[in-house]
Order: sequence, then C-alpha cells, then structure tokens
Amino acid sequence: MHIAEGFLPPAHAVGWTIAAAPFVVHGARAVATEVRRNPESTLLLGAAGAFTFVLSAIKLPSVTGSSSHPTGTGAGAILFRPPVMALLGTVVLLFQALLLAHGGLTTLGANAFSMAVVGPWVGYGAYRLTRALTGNLLAAVFAGMALADLATYVTTSLQLALAFPDAETGFAGAAVKFLGVFALTQVPLAIGEGLLGVLLFRALISNARPELVRLGVLPAEPDDVLPDTPAPAGTSPAAPSTDDGDGAHR
Amino acid sequence: MTGLAVDDAAWASAWRSRSPGDKALLSLGLVLCALLLPVWPGSVLVGLTAVALALGPARVPARTFGRAVRLPLAFVAVGALTSVVQLGGGPGWAPDAAQRAGALVGHALAGGAAVLLLATTTPMSDLLPALRRLRVPAAVVEVASVTYRLLFVLLESLHTIREAQTARMGHSTVRRSFRSSGVLAAAVLTRSWDRARRLQDGLAGRGMVDGLRVLPEVLPSSRRFLAATVTGLTAIVVVSLTVGGAAG
Repeated sequence: MHIAEGFLPPAHAVGWTIAAAPFVVHGARAVATEVRRNPESTLLLGAAGAFTFVLSAIKLPSVTGSSSHPTGTGAGAILFRPPVMALLGTVVLLFQALLLAHGGLTTLGANAFSMAVVGPWVGYGAYRLTRALTGNLLAAVFAGMALADLATYVTTSLQLALAFPDAETGFAGAAVKFLGVFALTQVPLAIGEGLLGVLLFRALISNARPELVRLGVLPAEPDDVLPDTPAPAGTSPAAPSTDDGDGAHR
Repeated sequence: MTGLAVDDAAWASAWRSRSPGDKALLSLGLVLCALLLPVWPGSVLVGLTAVALALGPARVPARTFGRAVRLPLAFVAVGALTSVVQLGGGPGWAPDAAQRAGALVGHALAGGAAVLLLATTTPMSDLLPALRRLRVPAAVVEVASVTYRLLFVLLESLHTIREAQTARMGHSTVRRSFRSSGVLAAAVLTRSWDRARRLQDGLAGRGMVDGLRVLPEVLPSSRRFLAATVTGLTAIVVVSLTVGGAAG
C-alpha cells in the first residue's frame, strides 16, 4: 500500500521528494560506481530490481483470511545493502505507479522515503543487530524483514499525519489515528513477512549457498566449498593435507 | 497476456507511435493541474479530460482503464475517512468532513487518471530512454531497463510455480501456503540470478564491453499535439481559476 497519486498536498509532495533525494542519489552513485567497476553487475542489479517487484506480487496468506503483499524491501536490504535498495526501491515504485496504478508520480518521493529509505535501513539495522547479538541468521532475517515492513507503514502513517493534522489535537492526534488504521493493522502482516523471510532464506541456504556467500550474507567456509570442488589431479584423498580446514586441526 | 494489463494496453494503444515526450508533457501537465487547482472544477475537468482522451483517441480498453483507476480506491477511501475523523472530545466527524474528504478523493482520482493516461499509452521501454535526458545516469537507466525486461519472465515463473504448487495442494492450508510462498520467493530469486547470468554470457559472447546499446525507436514529436496540449491545459487552468474563484 502506497500513498496514492494526488493524495498529498503539493508542499508535502515536494518536501518528501527533497527528503528522499539524497538517499536515492547516493544509491544511484553506488550503482554507477559498481557498474563501472564491474559491467556485468548491470544484469544482476536489474534482476534484483525485478525480484523486488515480483516479491511484492506474491500473495501472503494472512490470519484474518484476506491476503496481503510483502513490501520485499527487507529481503533486498539484507541481500543487496540499503544504499542499493534506495535506488532499486525507487525504480520499483516508479514501475508500480506506471504498471499497476499503485502509488503515484507526485507521491513518489514520499513513498520512496518510506519504502526505499526508512524500511531498508531499519530492516538492515535490525538484521545486523540481531545477528550480532544472537549469531542466528534466521532470527536476524525475521527481525529485519518484519521491522522493514512495519517501519515502512509507520513512516507512511506519520507522513499522512503530518499532511492532515487533527483539527484539535494536531499532529499527535492525527498520528494516533493513522497509526491505528495503517500501522497497527499491519503488525500481523509484518510478522507474516518475517516468516516468509525465514522460509525464503532457509530455501536459499540449501539451494543457493554460493550466491549468499558471494553477497556476503554467509561467510565463506572452506568445508562448504569442498564437496563441490573436485580434488585436484594427483592428490590422493588419503594423503595428509596441511591446509585442510576440516580435519587438520582436530 | 503478461499479467500486467496496463502494459498490454500501452503496447496496443493508438497513441503508441506518438512521441513519449509529448505524452509525458500532457500527462504531467494534467497531474499538476489535478494537484494544484481547486477540486471544483479543476480536478473534475482533469479527470474527465484524462478519461476522454484515453478512451477516445488513444483507444485504451475501458475495462483496463476502469479497473486500474479503481485499484487505489481502497487506500484513498480509508485515508480520506481517517483524515476527517476527529478524536478530541470523543470521536466524531470534523466540522467540514464531507467537503474535505470529497476534495481529497477528487484530487486523488483525477491525479490517478492523469498518470494512467501516460501509463496506458506509453510502454516503459519508451519512457526509460527519456530519463537520460533528465540527466539520470546511464547506469541507472540500464539497470531499470533490465528490470523491466526481466519482470515479465519472473512474473511468468511466479505464476507457473504457484500454479504447480496449488495443484499439489501447496496452498491448501495457511501453514502450507506460507511454506510454499517461501519456496516460491527463493525459486524466483535464484531464477532471476540464473537469467541474469545467462543473459550476461550471451551478451559477452556477442562482444558487449560496456552498456546495453539498443537502437532507439524514433517517435517524432507532433507540433499539433503539443499545441493542443498547451491550449487544453491553459483552458483547464483558466476555467478552474475563474469558476473556482467565483465560487470561493
């Protein structure tokens, strides 16, 4: 759910565009540098953008019976880092506005700020913190994806509260209203997205381990690589090896 | 066909051969009018113009256009209602609730229709090269173009895998549905990597050094279209300001 076209007053639309711009420009620079250094990453980054778009099209079963769509930016932030997600998220929002009539052009800045900037950074922060504290990758993925989703909706609610303050209670009253309608109802869905993340990463660990190592999500472990690489010709498996990380130290 | 009805409409539209710049000027002009002019009669005029142009000369299917306009309605309705509920002194409606909610819905519907006029007449692959002229870095435009082209492949994979999962009772209970969705997301991600790698190998074999160069299709700008756009937008502004000013 993004803020629809024409919903924000002009001053707010301009203000949020200015607020999101530095993050998106920073992301664009990061992407441009990466592509200059490594031309083939154009295709991988394009694939990441397409995956983020498609992930938001996966219907998530929800407890209340209706279904909802994940925001997908938490997974992107964990896999590709928040600066890149600031750009990819904005590209995805532009596509959603023009291909799905979801969001809008004048509200692109506000939506980019909540979904491509705040969501990924909060999610990535929660992921890194949980991983450092517990050492558990899947717990960190759950925290990262659930909080990225929730932070996006909290930001959207606050943006709406700023735009439409309550006549008597002002911003605080409006924040209570919008948080109640858009963020509180999102809590079960955020938990759902966190669970989806755990299942996604569990499947990736068993099916796409080399890619996760390349992206820096998993550390390169010699004993994980060994079974795939054939033994070099001439070395007998029985010969004692000196640099083997597996058996030599035990 | 592809699952994105708006994109299908854009390729089939009678305005497909018009210059993307011309259409962007018209559509963005209407978007700004919808946002900045008073809702009566500004937004009403913008909404009617956008719908009339899309269904008339651009020949966008009414079904597609109507369905796409309706999509954001849930958000617009909930958002507009929430903004006019008052909490101070027990919950109730703000004094000018109907008027304010109506104005919000009017702005949003008119703006949405104006964006859709561009979206249903111009494929993304025509719009992205135009971003280069707005000084968006070439690398970013290329990443966005690859994203657009891979979208359809991945959406098709998504539907196929989901269909297969459903046929195998993969979505019969909430628990199974969650598991299937996780596996589905992982499969789509690994497929996207696989596709990117294969594209890369194919392009490298054809001598790609830097950048994906494609021949841009030349879609010349029409002076009559531009003149009509400027005249129409001016008329909307003048009428809105005189009628809106007289009313207020």
